[in-house]
Amino acid sequence: MDNLLEVQDIHTYIGQFHILEGVSLKVRRGSITVLLGRNGAGKTTTLKSILGLTPPRQGRVILDGQDIQGRRAFDIATLGVGYVPEHRAIFRDLSVAENLRIAERKKGDLDRKADFIFGLFPDLKRLYKLPGNHLSGGQQQMLAVARALVPDNKLLLIDEPSEGLAPVLIEQMMEAIRHLSATTTVLLVEQNFIMASQLSESYYIMDDGKIVHQGAMADLVQNKALIHQYLGASVNAGGGGQ
Amino acid sequence: MKLKEFWQKNGAFLTVVVLLAALSFVGWMAMGQKSFVRTMLSGLTLGALYFMVAAGLTLIFGLMDVLNFAHGTMLMIGAYAGWQFYTNPTFLFGLAPLAVALMTGLGATSLLQPVVMNWPIPERWQRGLRTALLLAAVAVGLIGVLGLDILGLADTAMVATMVAANPLAEATPQEPLASFWFRPALLLAAGLLMALAQARPGDRTQFVRREAAWRSWVTVGVLLALTVVATLVRESGPLAVLQMNANLRFVLSLIAGALIGAGLGAVVETSMVRPLYVRPQFLVLLTLGLAFVLKEVTQVLWDPLAYQMSRPPLFAQPGKADNILAWFSGHNTTINIVGVTFPSYRLFIIALGVMMLIALGVLMNYSRLGMIIRAGVQDREMVEALGINVRRVFTLVFSLGTGLAALGGIGAAPFIPVEPAMGDRFLMQGFITVVIGGMGSYSGAAIGALLLGLARAFGDFTALKYHLSPAISEASTVIIMAVVLLVRPAGLFGKKE
Repeated sequence: MDNLLEVQDIHTYIGQFHILEGVSLKVRRGSITVLLGRNGAGKTTTLKSILGLTPPRQGRVILDGQDIQGRRAFDIATLGVGYVPEHRAIFRDLSVAENLRIAERKKGDLDRKADFIFGLFPDLKRLYKLPGNHLSGGQQQMLAVARALVPDNKLLLIDEPSEGLAPVLIEQMMEAIRHLSATTTVLLVEQNFIMASQLSESYYIMDDGKIVHQGAMADLVQNKALIHQYLGASVNAGGGGQ
Repeated sequence: MKLKEFWQKNGAFLTVVVLLAALSFVGWMAMGQKSFVRTMLSGLTLGALYFMVAAGLTLIFGLMDVLNFAHGTMLMIGAYAGWQFYTNPTFLFGLAPLAVALMTGLGATSLLQPVVMNWPIPERWQRGLRTALLLAAVAVGLIGVLGLDILGLADTAMVATMVAANPLAEATPQEPLASFWFRPALLLAAGLLMALAQARPGDRTQFVRREAAWRSWVTVGVLLALTVVATLVRESGPLAVLQMNANLRFVLSLIAGALIGAGLGAVVETSMVRPLYVRPQFLVLLTLGLAFVLKEVTQVLWDPLAYQMSRPPLFAQPGKADNILAWFSGHNTTINIVGVTFPSYRLFIIALGVMMLIALGVLMNYSRLGMIIRAGVQDREMVEALGINVRRVFTLVFSLGTGLAALGGIGAAPFIPVEPAMGDRFLMQGFITVVIGGMGSYSGAAIGALLLGLARAFGDFTALKYHLSPAISEASTVIIMAVVLLVRPAGLFGKKE
């Protein structure tokens, strides 16, 4: 099978609100796929629906050939789905070490992965014993990504990793995501178009709870009008990468 | 910068400690050593009890946002269970087979699920079928207990307490096995019917974890074996308990009380609280209603009376120990502490509270469960997203919290009256403790309990000395709460806003 993840026409409600109105997407094994769109387009809800945190009422989610519709979030996660939420949602009262250890699914996960993780984010090694709330914003974001790398995950759902980061850190984060995509598949939500365009091969654009465009990133970079229409002010008008 | 961080982290704690030290010094000077020490020890006793209630409350609220109004009732149930076990456990042994049988049936849910979910039942009948199964379960369960002399069983410990004679003479004979065996069998059937309803026959959309099947088999097997054992030892069990060393019996009754509280907590969480997490406004009504129901049931079983559980011999030898060391050989009722005669049992309560604090501290800081609880207090969705079954953690924490309250109840039973409403004042003080300490923080609960206990004790002393209304000691706790909330709206160690 070529696609690690297939989302087929899912409809998700939050309370009374119909947030996702039939979202379908495919993520090819070993690729980085990016989900673009304005604030409130439904990108985060899409990630949460895949993971079962906001279970869709209709439609199907197929992970690695297996229908995971209706399973609870912890169950989907144990199938090998890692989640990096937006706003650097690390556990502030836990130390860096505990933030990583809590993500273990088998005993010894962290010991096996420690070298890999500290290779990507050398800062975390230095901060290992500190409580999470003593970390800077960038360090917290790295910790949130590192946490998703502790168990063996097939699929990583990463929500706006560049949000609020200084340019230097964005570079480091991009480097890290590119590096880890060698071993896993990534579905990335990103507002920073420059970052998104350099990382991923294919894209989906969401607007108002629907997918409105999709294709290869190389084509999107050329299409300034489309970028402007859907990504608008969040993108530097010249946002075509370097 | 370092200093600022240090202050942010430990400021509240240091302020409280310095404030307490200063107040203690003033108190010492003004009251004289004897009154001061006595009041201090009374305050610590109260504080230890408040902590046992507040620790569970704060964990349950912190993790699940449930204000458990039945928490005081759990303390009361613990007190009754411990008192029954210590005085005459005929009642507990008589009902144990039925309770375990019901649990055995319920435990079969995950075994039935993969089978019954494939039954060809049209979707429009499924809901009705589940309701019918539940009603049938209730009916079968009621038939199972029909004619059982529950009140007679309940009377045994009551009579033993009132006549204070040899409790062995009061052991009521249990129903003979020949006519009893069908009761656990029927309750097992009732449990199975409930399990069947829970397994949602015909509902193919549910997902079943097959890897865990052997664990369910083991659980059901063990429970079934326990049912058989419990059925057989109904009569010999109470006698064996009553014949054992009274101190050992007391320790066992602490354990039994805590286990019954924890078990009841687990049942309440899984059957009643869980469906309402999505409608949290009803949880207050549920727990409040549950408190009333449990209190009324207790009144029916043991009459609206207050009982005094006798102290174990460890704390009941006549005379006064000259110091704490002397108590270890004399086991006296009272101990001389720097010139003050103080009941030894109350010192035990303080020690119990301290032990609980240490045990909880170890659990929260060094175990994986503790790590998950601390993480879940902040963001339970993320904990679930990491692949941790948060629902199971909820059940564990609820049952841990109610178990601690029940342990507090049986601990308190030998020196405060055992009565249906005994938990109410502890619930109020527990809530205030939690608010002062900060929701979700067990160390906050400890400091809050200490503050409240001391405030009550010193308030009572002041009221007595200056002929004021005793209401000032009750008001003092609320005043402390108001002051703390003005300075730190999230409580002293609050993590949640």
